[in-house]
Amino acid sequence: MRQNKRGLLLSLLLCLILGGCGTEQISSRQHVVALIAKSTRTEFWLSVFAGAQTAATEYNLDLTIIGPETEEDYEAQNRMIEEAVAQGAEAIVFSAIDYENNGAAIDEAAQQGVQIVAIDSSVDSDRVSTYIGTDNYAAGQMAAQAALERVEGPLRVGIVNYDINSANGQQRQQGAADAFSASGRAEITAVINTLAEAEQAWADTAAMLEAHPEINVVLAFNEPTTVGAAWAVQELNLRDALFLVGFDSNVKAVDGLQDGYVDALVVQNPYAMGYLGVESAYRLLTGQSAGMEQTVDTSTQIVDRENLFSMDSQKALFVFE
Amino acid sequence: MRTGLCRTGLRITTILVSMVVGMAAIILCCCIVLFLDRYRSAMVESARTSTTQAVSQVSNTVGNYLRDMTQAMELVKQSMSEHDRGRDELLTAFLTFRPYVVAVTSYSSSGVLLDCWALGRELREEIHQNLSFDLELARSAKGPYMTAPHVESIFQGSYPWVVTMTAPLSQGGTAAWVSLDLSFSSISNYINNVSIGQRGYCFLMDGMGNIVYHPQQQLLYAGLKSEDTVGLAGLEDSSYADDTVIYSITSVEGSDWRVVGVSYVDELVNRNVSEMLRLSMVLATVVLGAVLLISWLLSKLLSRPLRGLAAAMESFERDADHFSYRPVGGTREVQELSHSFDHMVLRIQQLMSTVREEEINLRKTELKALQAQINPHFLYNTLDSIAWMCEQGRTADAVKMVHALARLFRISISKGHELIPIAKEIEHAESYLQIQKYRYKNQFTYTFDVDPHCLDYYCNKITLQPIIENAINHGLDLLVDKGTIQVQVCQDGEDIVFYVRDNGVGMSQEQLRSILYRGPKDRTGIGIKNVNDRLKIYFGKQYGLHITSELDVGTCVEIRMPKLQEGEYETK
Repeated sequence: MRQNKRGLLLSLLLCLILGGCGTEQISSRQHVVALIAKSTRTEFWLSVFAGAQTAATEYNLDLTIIGPETEEDYEAQNRMIEEAVAQGAEAIVFSAIDYENNGAAIDEAAQQGVQIVAIDSSVDSDRVSTYIGTDNYAAGQMAAQAALERVEGPLRVGIVNYDINSANGQQRQQGAADAFSASGRAEITAVINTLAEAEQAWADTAAMLEAHPEINVVLAFNEPTTVGAAWAVQELNLRDALFLVGFDSNVKAVDGLQDGYVDALVVQNPYAMGYLGVESAYRLLTGQSAGMEQTVDTSTQIVDRENLFSMDSQKALFVFE
Repeated sequence: MRTGLCRTGLRITTILVSMVVGMAAIILCCCIVLFLDRYRSAMVESARTSTTQAVSQVSNTVGNYLRDMTQAMELVKQSMSEHDRGRDELLTAFLTFRPYVVAVTSYSSSGVLLDCWALGRELREEIHQNLSFDLELARSAKGPYMTAPHVESIFQGSYPWVVTMTAPLSQGGTAAWVSLDLSFSSISNYINNVSIGQRGYCFLMDGMGNIVYHPQQQLLYAGLKSEDTVGLAGLEDSSYADDTVIYSITSVEGSDWRVVGVSYVDELVNRNVSEMLRLSMVLATVVLGAVLLISWLLSKLLSRPLRGLAAAMESFERDADHFSYRPVGGTREVQELSHSFDHMVLRIQQLMSTVREEEINLRKTELKALQAQINPHFLYNTLDSIAWMCEQGRTADAVKMVHALARLFRISISKGHELIPIAKEIEHAESYLQIQKYRYKNQFTYTFDVDPHCLDYYCNKITLQPIIENAINHGLDLLVDKGTIQVQVCQDGEDIVFYVRDNGVGMSQEQLRSILYRGPKDRTGIGIKNVNDRLKIYFGKQYGLHITSELDVGTCVEIRMPKLQEGEYETK
């Protein structure tokens, strides 16, 4: 009897040792992750993709990057979500064109067990595990503050925003509007919602400036609208009369900043969004999601002519290739 | 009691096995710990060596690259002394063959940009800030120098990251300095492909701790990763290992650039160590298992004869009479023990038979003494009765009484034999009853019911008389009505059973016990206890008396003994 007990104990120990060693084997299966962007063309998104690719390489993920032709086509995004799920994506890193109308598709995907990470622009779904991106309200305030600090006297503001259903654009606008009204010397004269492409934004901004010649500050809330607005300023020869605050780092916007058509840029950190978005997807898929933040705020900074070539601005503005 | 003893003591197997296995386990543990410690330090050393090797290779390559650049710079310097057209052609060719040179620029002694050669890039009309050239730095530097990485800021719509190499020109021309802006493509190809382990990498920094090139430069710029370059810049060229990371630093010959190799202890060392730990654990388990098995077998070999001895002792204890001992083998000590036990068994058995014989002899002597005695009261009373009968002229009765008395005494003596035929015993009982019947003036009657087959078997003499005496004295004497005594003899398998029944006052349980277990105090003669003891000594425990009695109903005494032929017991 005693012999048997000892034998049992010993074999148990053996099992424990072998079992303990066995768990060290890491599963080598690649997880499938899809990144669905708002666009695949702008420098902002290319930088997001670069970050996402880096993370995918680092964590050995099968990453697919897709996005619609235009930044207004939420239906295409919904189709892409369905396709991604059908193709076996285990996690979707998503930036919503339409806060409300993308919600159902995301819920549907989450129903099928897909992990959801939102980057840049969130979506109306409580299945989003984490949001990684700019604090858009603060970024809007920052843009308004940049204008308030650098322009004296009363400010009459024209706002060039993109799709009205996009969450981050509206949050930025809200932030800016609140900052302006708090200052007491600024009023928003006009708000336009144009397409997120430079040509259309150029035409619409030019139209707005012609309709409201009293405007002395223009805020453009993303990369294409910034480029379009800069062109409009150049076309209407308003370089000195008008203060343009743009978003993101486009080569043309940086040229504009040097030439004076653009006066300040709110620079986000798209590379970090892509990288952290994919990294979060990896953590969700491998069960390391403990302690994951609901919202991760990536850094934002103001660049103007004075600090354009400071080391920090260089790092934020120009992608290292 | 026995099992309790077994539980408290330790078995020899247990002691032996646990000692051997324990020793083996301790030795194995010590060996494994020592071995793993050595192995780990050897692995760390080899990881440091391999990191250092990788870093020195990178350092050589970067050194070659820089020498190449210095030569290129010489080429550019020469071209500066050429005429405008020849210089343009030369530099265009130069740029074509060296695509990693983004731009060649020349500056006047006051730091004004004089000329720029670049392929496919257009110089800005109004240069906001030129990061490629710093007049103060150029003036303070004695010879050629390199800048930290920066963005090329003099072109329209193009902002590549470059490092700038600036060299002073010999006096004579308008240009005082010439700069080469170098992209990272050639270095990056090499450095990106260096891998130390799975995750290890190399990066390049300058003497101040600015990162020149890092395989994950954009991660650093996006604030997602950081390197403690300031700390590393203060260290000498060597390799440094802490718990998680090994850093190896080597300076690049001919510049203040330094190559830093980063490798992870975890993957280079810990994985191997844990693999080795697993192997040694498996090995240790196998060895321990083998040791366990061998020691168990060995102890079995030692303890089996002991256990055999113990079993023999146990069975000896249970039945000492019929035990015969077979000696057990084993080690010499065990054999000696076995031998002693053998002796002891024989001795004890001898002693036991001696004791038994002595007991029987004692009983016999005692019995004979008792038999020799005749209860004087009985004798006086009987003789009184006879005398009285004679006085009354009842001579016939008197003759019967005298005969009965004579028969009683004759059978009592029986020539000194202990065992007599049952017929004689019956006769003895009948004589006694006859006498008593006269004496008690026919207060009771008696009957005999004897199986004639039983008559020839033998029984102890004076077996029935004490019981009948008891029945008359205690059962019938006090009875008002007429009593009966019934004596029955029958066979029961291999046994003969006598029954003596009366319809007297009966006995309580207490009286029963006192009759069977206490000797007679108040009178002489053979008591019931004596009869019972005698039967048990002669024939064994299963034989003897069995009394059942009920108050006011009667008593039945059952006497059981084996069938005995003549002379049978003596031969037994």
